[in-house]
Amino acid sequence: MKLSHNWLIELTGLNWTPEETAEKLTLCGTACKNIEPTAKYMDKVVVGEVLTLSAIEGASKIRLAKVTTGDEELQIVCGAPNVAVGHKVPVAKIGAVLAGDMKIKKTKIKGVESSGMICSERELGISDEHEGIWVLPDEAPVGKPLAEILDYDDHILTFDLTPNRADSMSAIGIARDMAALANKKLMLPQTDIKESDKQAYDYISVTIDDAFGCPRYAARIIHNVKLAESPWWLKKKLITSGIRPINNLVDITNLVMLETGHPLHAFDLKRFGSNEVVVRQAKEKEKFITLDDKEHELDKNVTLITNGKTGVAAGGVMGGKDSEVKEDTKDLLLEAAYFNPSLIRKSRKKLGIVTESSSRFEKGANPNGIEFAINRAAHLYQQLAGGEVASGIVDCYPKKIEPANLSLRVKRCNQILGTGISQARMVEILKALEFEADNSDPIKVKVPTFRPDIEREIDLIEEIARIEGFDKIPTPQSITGPLYTPVHWEDNFKKEIRTLLTSSGFDETIAHGMVHSRMASLLEPEMKHLKLLNPVSEEVNVMRTMLATTALSVVSHNLSHRNMDIKLFELGKVYFPPDSNDDWVEEEKLILAISGSTAGNWREKPRKLDFYDLTGALDNIWAHLRLGEYSIVEQPVGWMENNMSFSISLEENEIGVIGKVSSKIARKFDIKEDVYIAEIFMGSLIARGKPLIKFSNLPVYPSAPRDLAIIVDNSVISSDIIATVKKNAGKLAESVKIFDLYTGKQIEEGKKSIAISINYRSAERNLTGEEIDIKQMKIIESLKSEFKADIRDK
Amino acid sequence: MSLLDDINHINNQAKERISNADSLDSLNEAKVKYLGRKGELTAVLKELKNLSVDEKKSVGAQANRCRQELEELIATAAGKFSTSKTDSSFDYTLPGTSSQIGVVHIINQVIDEIVNIFHGMGFEIARGPDIETDYYNFEALNFPPDHPARDMQDTMFVEGGRILRTHTTPVQVRKLEEQNPPIKIIVPGRTYRNEAISTRAHIAFHQVDGFLVDEGVSMADMKGVLVAFCKSFFGPDLKLKFRPSFFPFTEPSAEVDVSCFLCKGKGCQLCKYSGWLEILGCGMIDPNVLIKTGHDPEKYTGYAFGMGVERIAMLKYKINDIRHFFNNDIRFLRQFK
Ligand SMILES: [Zn+2]
Repeated sequence: MKLSHNWLIELTGLNWTPEETAEKLTLCGTACKNIEPTAKYMDKVVVGEVLTLSAIEGASKIRLAKVTTGDEELQIVCGAPNVAVGHKVPVAKIGAVLAGDMKIKKTKIKGVESSGMICSERELGISDEHEGIWVLPDEAPVGKPLAEILDYDDHILTFDLTPNRADSMSAIGIARDMAALANKKLMLPQTDIKESDKQAYDYISVTIDDAFGCPRYAARIIHNVKLAESPWWLKKKLITSGIRPINNLVDITNLVMLETGHPLHAFDLKRFGSNEVVVRQAKEKEKFITLDDKEHELDKNVTLITNGKTGVAAGGVMGGKDSEVKEDTKDLLLEAAYFNPSLIRKSRKKLGIVTESSSRFEKGANPNGIEFAINRAAHLYQQLAGGEVASGIVDCYPKKIEPANLSLRVKRCNQILGTGISQARMVEILKALEFEADNSDPIKVKVPTFRPDIEREIDLIEEIARIEGFDKIPTPQSITGPLYTPVHWEDNFKKEIRTLLTSSGFDETIAHGMVHSRMASLLEPEMKHLKLLNPVSEEVNVMRTMLATTALSVVSHNLSHRNMDIKLFELGKVYFPPDSNDDWVEEEKLILAISGSTAGNWREKPRKLDFYDLTGALDNIWAHLRLGEYSIVEQPVGWMENNMSFSISLEENEIGVIGKVSSKIARKFDIKEDVYIAEIFMGSLIARGKPLIKFSNLPVYPSAPRDLAIIVDNSVISSDIIATVKKNAGKLAESVKIFDLYTGKQIEEGKKSIAISINYRSAERNLTGEEIDIKQMKIIESLKSEFKADIRDK
Repeated sequence: MSLLDDINHINNQAKERISNADSLDSLNEAKVKYLGRKGELTAVLKELKNLSVDEKKSVGAQANRCRQELEELIATAAGKFSTSKTDSSFDYTLPGTSSQIGVVHIINQVIDEIVNIFHGMGFEIARGPDIETDYYNFEALNFPPDHPARDMQDTMFVEGGRILRTHTTPVQVRKLEEQNPPIKIIVPGRTYRNEAISTRAHIAFHQVDGFLVDEGVSMADMKGVLVAFCKSFFGPDLKLKFRPSFFPFTEPSAEVDVSCFLCKGKGCQLCKYSGWLEILGCGMIDPNVLIKTGHDPEKYTGYAFGMGVERIAMLKYKINDIRHFFNNDIRFLRQFK
């Protein structure tokens, strides 16, 4: 919400600067987000008079205006249709900077020189009006700076209001906080009226059939209003609040709404269609045309204002087309009503409109502020439109909404805040906010009905705190609460994995887990994905069930930006639709994805990243977190290459997959390069808990390393060879490692050479050469018989 | 004069000469004078043969110490005058051959930093599901159904009647249901809002929420902890401003601004010339939340706070587009090594 600072000053009589006001209000909960001079775009803008207008050759839409600004005559090219000789207009001189950072310079248009600009309201930053130039009143003195004649020595404060504070959606509401901070009384605007001999009751009656939707409806009758332009002071208040002035009849209700926070509605009495107001629930599918000319289908949540027959206004949201105030309007039916906030919310949702009126009623207007608002408007109709205000308010208020009674314990207040505020100060604050408060403890408080947000003691405590100032609450240097802070293995487990992977060159990624069903189904065509019911982005409509879906998008993004060498990982969740037991499952997973080559350096050439870079990384994790041994088994995975797709198992339980993404799938992600992926469920790994490390004595006896080189068929897998070696070497083999692998010219095609080193050691004694030789022989014999291995001389 | 005295005398004189030497030549002269074949120290050593075995041992040791010390001093001093490289074939400027290291995602780095500070102040880490019920996300947190407060958070719904949590605060409710006070928890996690994606807004982001419920917890206690956090995280010279705000699940509620760490409060583009940066929301846990979770608000009180991780990361590192975080371009990620 925007308000003129001068207006707030007018209501409080304070001499605060705009900056002071903004700061003080912000610190009491009425956040002021911006301060802007109202005449921000009026530097070097003066009043000019159009002397002549002439056509420009070869241009139909623009004309050349000669304009005097008193001391000089300017030649300005102007495109506005409404410019006419004799008009007083705002003229921006060379050097002016208008709204939208438009700098006025000397230019040539169609070969004609133009030195300045005749401005619209939008260019001056005072409204969105830009259909034509702004024609000033005839009495505007030529040559005077525009800001001066507009009395624009003011600032616009922009407030960012919290949804609970209905009362602060008005100038008086905000001024009330200012007055409370300064402990002063508000200076309310005038409401005095000279009522005519005519009785309002003779012209209108009010019946409420829907007291739930509309607890109170009041009306005044005003005769013989004269339509005119509103005076500048009124227009200025509307403009600075972002409401476009239309004419005095419409502007007055808008002004009173801004002033009091109470939305009013003026009907044309002649067009009202009857002399009775009947407020009722709309019928299902009842049709109604709002004054913006749109037809709506209503339901029972809409409180409809009718003339006894048809609807004339969707109560609290928008008036109807038929009874709208027009240029020929003479007599007004002025409505001031109170509508149920939660129904207004439903009603405006049904109608699909949010208006200044609906947003105020939705937060909660003041049911007992109706007299003030309607009298203020009537006062203005009398003053500014020559209206004759009929005697009396026709007021239907079946059940008065009473102020809430609360009590505030002084000790409790200070305990919650950690303060030592005196009872007297608490009472003072409450009274300054126009609450009734007595001097007992607990303090008995009557909450004014303009504060529907104050329902409990704790709400009063907040009022005390915000007016006293949060800066008055002390800041202790000690910590309360428990000191023992358990550490969960899950958190450390993930931290360890991050450390291990980043130290071996993997970059961590984070995807948000929402994907498009098209991509999700590519990887898992059989899987049911959890659907998003109302995504705003078209790129997502389901939750991922695999990290690979998002990882491939990330790989694709990077490759398309020429980041060719990538090693990525993500620790993230996958989400499944509820199972038959209505259990909702989210699972933690780890994915590794690599493509391209190693970085290399001047000593080591880069080489292609591949499968073994993934298993190497997994080995590190497994070793460090002591997860036991995983096994890799060939298994078809739909989205991986046929011969490059495996499952990963830990103690018979399948926990993930590893392999090379099939080129068919990769292409769907616009990936042409090889991508290797390992994706693992983390739940069972985390559940194993923190590994227990047990110290073992350092070896006393020396080790005896032996090497062995064998040639076997390519189809023999190394894990089988190692298993055989270990089985035969028995306990004496401390470690068995493959240290070389060779295929090529030196050996027969279809075969490979594998070099193995075995480290023998006993914990009890020195091993003899003979006993190791016997082991070696045994190993060689089994390798020969099991794998038809040839032993290479070493 | 004993030989030991001679050695000490030579030692002192030699040291003086070495430290006064102004060229390699004068240094060499000193070397010859004291340590050379006909040098003074050598001359002393020649006298050793006239001593007893015990004396030989102690004087000899002293002479050797002296020689060693002087040699070292000369070598060091020579280094000052030397201009030639020791081994011209060794290029010590070639880059080292370490393997490349990766980087933890900046969001997780920031989360870790925040969480560690609170962990140190006694907050235990807790987590909860991303897919939440309306009850935990809204109702138990005092957002009545069909209330304007719900408009503050555009919610993403999933099939089956659940939602993607709009904040990490539901974990507060879950913990309060599970445990009896005192409870002191910090909750990092993913959150979702149904917003159009732009440079400033995304459909997903991260939050860190925390709370303490115990007997006699006051708003002053909350201020103490949050001031300590902000100083640890942003720097000790920083100023803080608590200003009233509104959250359905806290009362009183506050927002915390810190003085802009870039311009030190003078006003700059980062702080939109206000000198202040909005960092976190907080407040005293609303009695309704305690009642809903089965605790007596007369006996227990508590505070809660929460902050947006992306926002803090964007401020701290002057990142201008929130979409970078989920794009995962390695040129972005690797800037935060
Ligand atoms: Zn700044």
